[in-house]
Amino acid sequence: MTAARILSVGTKTPATRYTQEELLDRYGSTDPMIRSLFLQSHIATRYLTLPPLGDDGKPRAETQGELLRKHREGALEIGVGAARTALERAGVTAADIGYLACVTTTGYLTPGLSALFLEPLGLPARTGRVDVVGMGCNAGLNGLQPVAHWAAANPGRFGLLVCVEICSAAYVMDDTVGTAVVNSLFGDGAAAAVIGTTSGPAVLGFESHTITEAVDAMRYDWDDADHKFRFFLDREIPYVIGAHAEAPVERLLSRFGLKRRNVAHWIVHSGGKKVVDAIQYNLGLTSHAVRHTTSVLRDLGNVSSASFLFSYERLLDEGTPHPGDYAVMMTMGPGSTIETALLRF
Amino acid sequence: MLAGLETLRYEERAGVAHVTLLRDRVDVRVVRELAKVSEHLEDDAADVRAVVFRGSNGTFCRGIDFKDFDPNGDFDIHGFNLWEKICARIERLPKATVVLLEGDVIGAGVQLALVCDARLALPSARLQLDEVHLGFLPGMATFRLAKYVGLGRAKRLIMRCPTIGAEEARDLGIVDEIVTDADTGIADAIRSFGPIHTVAVELSRRLLNESFGTSFEDAIGHFLAAQHRSIRQTAFLETVKKQKKPRT
Repeated sequence: MTAARILSVGTKTPATRYTQEELLDRYGSTDPMIRSLFLQSHIATRYLTLPPLGDDGKPRAETQGELLRKHREGALEIGVGAARTALERAGVTAADIGYLACVTTTGYLTPGLSALFLEPLGLPARTGRVDVVGMGCNAGLNGLQPVAHWAAANPGRFGLLVCVEICSAAYVMDDTVGTAVVNSLFGDGAAAAVIGTTSGPAVLGFESHTITEAVDAMRYDWDDADHKFRFFLDREIPYVIGAHAEAPVERLLSRFGLKRRNVAHWIVHSGGKKVVDAIQYNLGLTSHAVRHTTSVLRDLGNVSSASFLFSYERLLDEGTPHPGDYAVMMTMGPGSTIETALLRF
Repeated sequence: MLAGLETLRYEERAGVAHVTLLRDRVDVRVVRELAKVSEHLEDDAADVRAVVFRGSNGTFCRGIDFKDFDPNGDFDIHGFNLWEKICARIERLPKATVVLLEGDVIGAGVQLALVCDARLALPSARLQLDEVHLGFLPGMATFRLAKYVGLGRAKRLIMRCPTIGAEEARDLGIVDEIVTDADTGIADAIRSFGPIHTVAVELSRRLLNESFGTSFEDAIGHFLAAQHRSIRQTAFLETVKKQKKPRT
């Protein structure tokens, strides 16, 4: 069977970028615990869409309705932007696209983004579509799976993956450490990839791993008191992910008779400093191996499902992959889930 | 499995792999065979807990053989790149590593010693990093040596290229101990590593190697990730079980 190939990647962020210090100042956070969470995060800046300041000089509280509208508008803007860049880089026109997968967790909407993107992108009415909603930070690879399988089954045609996360539409601000963990970490961003069979690294296979005993470790729950969705991260996450990191990677590599040392490039989700440490020390990866993961975390924070494609874009910009090189993509998120994919340049 | 070695002798005895350098200089063939041995140790040698590197005929290693050092035939940077890769690979082997130094230990010989966990010397050992006097650089000894001996001493050893004896090498901390009988010294050194729990050996070595270049804030995160990996291993779980046994 023909292998699916990643022809191109494109990314886009919203217009406004904040340093962690600026965010603390903007929200007037003086709690030392919260300040240290922000400042020790190994994140320098994030792109966010924040509400205007209210009478008290702090950003106005947003209703769930406002947050959902922010998600929809922001997702359309940066999602379409990322997709256009990816199409342009692939040298593929919108009319050539036969399949579209959209991935988001930071807002619920019906019809989904895959329907909303058709018109602004000029995609054909016959485009096959799927929306991956609510799967969290790992979902970019869950979205890549159907597009890659569709592309492999339709040689010569092209599919489009768009991961778009408006994490500032999932903001709850209540001066507690729990929300500060979330608010110090996530940023907005969109990334898209054109998948076909003609050029670019081949997608050789996927391997999933769901840690059901940690099903509650990452959640997006409805908060009755606040009338908002609220994201929750368990402090055990880095350890849960670290303890299970080897299993899917070994399964994936052994299917192709490979060892970890045969993998030239690691494209790992920028989940947070502790999660990246856990991956590094459990898989025996050097800091160099996760340099794009840490630099994306530093510059953008955790952009949820889009993060790994930002790292992938930086790897391509660096120009280090050589023909024949193997790469592993690895994303982690709620479930708790580890998703992996093997590429060959 | 490990057939066709020409420049090395490889033997496994009682859980210890003995790697003997048969040539007195490092050429591209030695580098390739060291890679072959490393691959075997990483993939197929689960019973091996320690690896010993030693020389032959009273010499450990006299440095690089420039007649045949580059994989492409002509002389270029690629041979050095391959050499550094094999040094880093030996430094990360999932085994405790011991090197026995004797006679001439020059250039690449010292570099190889610096990537081993335990460095023993016979009284005959004479160490020298002679590269700078020959107009090139002593590889990543430029990175590793100062961690062992301090910056000032490293400058003396690398820039003034003195030949030092086993005692001075020990006093500087390059050599752990001087042994008079090779086999007894090696056996004692391996015994001193105790049960050799692979994960604890690998991670303690990695954190130590990273210690000079990492901020405390980064290092504490690395440590916690590494410690969490260690305490999930059978070795540590057994330790806890033993301690939890009620006293009778």
